[in-house]
Amino acid sequence: MTLFLQQLVNGVALGSVYSLVALGLTLVYGVLKVPNFAHGALYMAGAYVAFVMLTSLGSGYVVAIVAAVAVVALLGAVMEWVVFRPLEGKSPVHAMIAALGVLFFLEGTADVIWGADFRQVPTPLDGVVSMAGINITEQRLLVVVAAVVTMLALYWLLKRTLIGMSIEAMAQDREGALLVGIDTRRVALVTFALSGVLAAIAGSLIAPLVLVFPTMGAVIVLKAFVIVILGGMGSVPGAIVGGYLLALAETMAGTYVAFAFSELIAFAMLVLVLVVRPTGLFAKGV
Amino acid sequence: MGLPVQRTAAWLRAALPLTLALSLAGCGEGSAGADGLEVVPIGFVGPLSGGAAYYGRNVQRGIQMAADEIAESGGFEVEGRRVRFEIVSMDDRYLPYETATAVRRLLQQRRPSVIFVPHAGGIRAVQEININEPKFLLAAYSSEPSILEAENPLTVMLPPRFDGYQEPFVDVMMGRFGQRLGLIPTTTAYGRAWTERVTAEWRRRGGTVGGDHGVDYNTTTDFTGAVSRALADRPDVLFVGGPSQPTALVIRAAREQGFRGGFLVMDQAKFEEMVTIVPMSALEGSIGVYPQEDYPTAGTPFFVESYYGRYGEDFQVPTSEVAITYQAVHLLARAMQLAGTTSDPEAIRARVGEAARGMPEELRIFETDGVTDQGHLVRAVYAAHILNGEFVVVEIPVPAGSVVH
Repeated sequence: MTLFLQQLVNGVALGSVYSLVALGLTLVYGVLKVPNFAHGALYMAGAYVAFVMLTSLGSGYVVAIVAAVAVVALLGAVMEWVVFRPLEGKSPVHAMIAALGVLFFLEGTADVIWGADFRQVPTPLDGVVSMAGINITEQRLLVVVAAVVTMLALYWLLKRTLIGMSIEAMAQDREGALLVGIDTRRVALVTFALSGVLAAIAGSLIAPLVLVFPTMGAVIVLKAFVIVILGGMGSVPGAIVGGYLLALAETMAGTYVAFAFSELIAFAMLVLVLVVRPTGLFAKGV
Repeated sequence: MGLPVQRTAAWLRAALPLTLALSLAGCGEGSAGADGLEVVPIGFVGPLSGGAAYYGRNVQRGIQMAADEIAESGGFEVEGRRVRFEIVSMDDRYLPYETATAVRRLLQQRRPSVIFVPHAGGIRAVQEININEPKFLLAAYSSEPSILEAENPLTVMLPPRFDGYQEPFVDVMMGRFGQRLGLIPTTTAYGRAWTERVTAEWRRRGGTVGGDHGVDYNTTTDFTGAVSRALADRPDVLFVGGPSQPTALVIRAAREQGFRGGFLVMDQAKFEEMVTIVPMSALEGSIGVYPQEDYPTAGTPFFVESYYGRYGEDFQVPTSEVAITYQAVHLLARAMQLAGTTSDPEAIRARVGEAARGMPEELRIFETDGVTDQGHLVRAVYAAHILNGEFVVVEIPVPAGSVVH
């Protein structure tokens, strides 16, 4: 029983990580129908900015997160403006190839600046919280709490602000949004910046738990893609539920079958969902 | 496992050969350098991009460092000619089929008489081609003994065989901590081979082994789940290992969850790199390969001084990947000198053993007696057991029946 509860806690912590990364990805897909592989690179960039702030510049952890958010939001906006805007109206294949190109470009840039070495981001929260034999590190607890706060903030933004509602409108019907006078280009720019914000929050919060290196985003972005397809392309609740579902499935399958299979779970679930419900679990709207 | 991830990742990387081709376009010919020394190309084919780039560059650095040293000291003499090495590198992204392709291209362009390859899959692929014309000596950086089974006459295996570690490691750890072993190794082919041997040895001594909770260290985001599961079996010793840095994360997770026993660490992971991620106290009681910087040999201080002099005091620590290939390049220079040729791989190979025995003190980073018939460069190997924060030397015996020449 202790093991089960411990793995439940572990699964929720991992699910928060997955959901945070998947959110930005699903947002961009919803609005622009672009499978933005470069989202992994934004996540990586967020981790590196936090790393530089905390080590070379000696800032506090909160300042580091804020700096990461600012830099990566800008990076996301620039990416939309330089790469994706000129591809507007072209086949989605172009955008997909461009996204891959951006991923490699940013990975290569990080490699040139920081080298291929594994870096570690120090965290002020290095303690462990124990209760009834169940352990969770303070940093993981922070990730769980921050993920929930981020999700609530995102929900508020999408439902209660004009720009958020514009994003939703555009996700539902691009032409319709244009007809009612929404500046779709501005919304696209903001959406990319927002996905950058989410990637930076994810990157700077998760960085102390993992290792920071140029290709760190490539693996997790694949998982995030599975989650986005699982939850329904472009669906925000889908990305959240999908993230926790996948993490719990992986952890529990690892515990009661074998951890060697846990990587396979993501893709088994993907196939299952595609067969049973091809549109994903939360296909209806954003 | 993880096949779909790898397939998609491979597809993601499909754009990389272009980059590779572009970077190679700059390679030129020329047998005499500006310094008047004859230039002899030495090949390196290994991962220089992607997830294994860190490892590949460590190996490459050792080769380059030795070549630079030789050039700076005015080269070495072969039959009255002054010679220096030029290192010609190609990226294979850790994929064996890419290794073979890159090697063929290297042969066409520069015809090196020696090529370094730092992974078992690539080495096996190259063993299919290095004995046909144009022949070349394969400097194999892998501790996987199966590369010796090919009986390839032009292979020199540089690192110690990994199958020498399990007996002494199990001996120390079972004696100190107890009978129960937990498994959280990486699930690469190399990791599996290690796991099988360490499991067999542990059982042979009467210990019990928990379930295999190994995960792929390169693709796993979070190790806590696997660690929790392994700790539920209440092990006395945990077998861990893969690349150093993720290994350190596994160790950190185990300590965070209250594990008090010792870690039996696969030779792929290096303590000197792990201490950049976890404090030394987390490693207490562990056994693994001895940190290169303090390796108990006469040549080590010279090597370490030269390394930091070249790359700066703040540069990453030199690991055995750097040290072993560094020594190997110096060894090859001496073998060429003895053989009186820089281009005949068979003649060079025939003198490797003699060259190894005649190494000067400052290059005796590893004490080598020579090469076995199968091509293994046999050396004295030291492991480290961490006791009260200090590295205690554990000698690893030379495999029985090693006949060196």
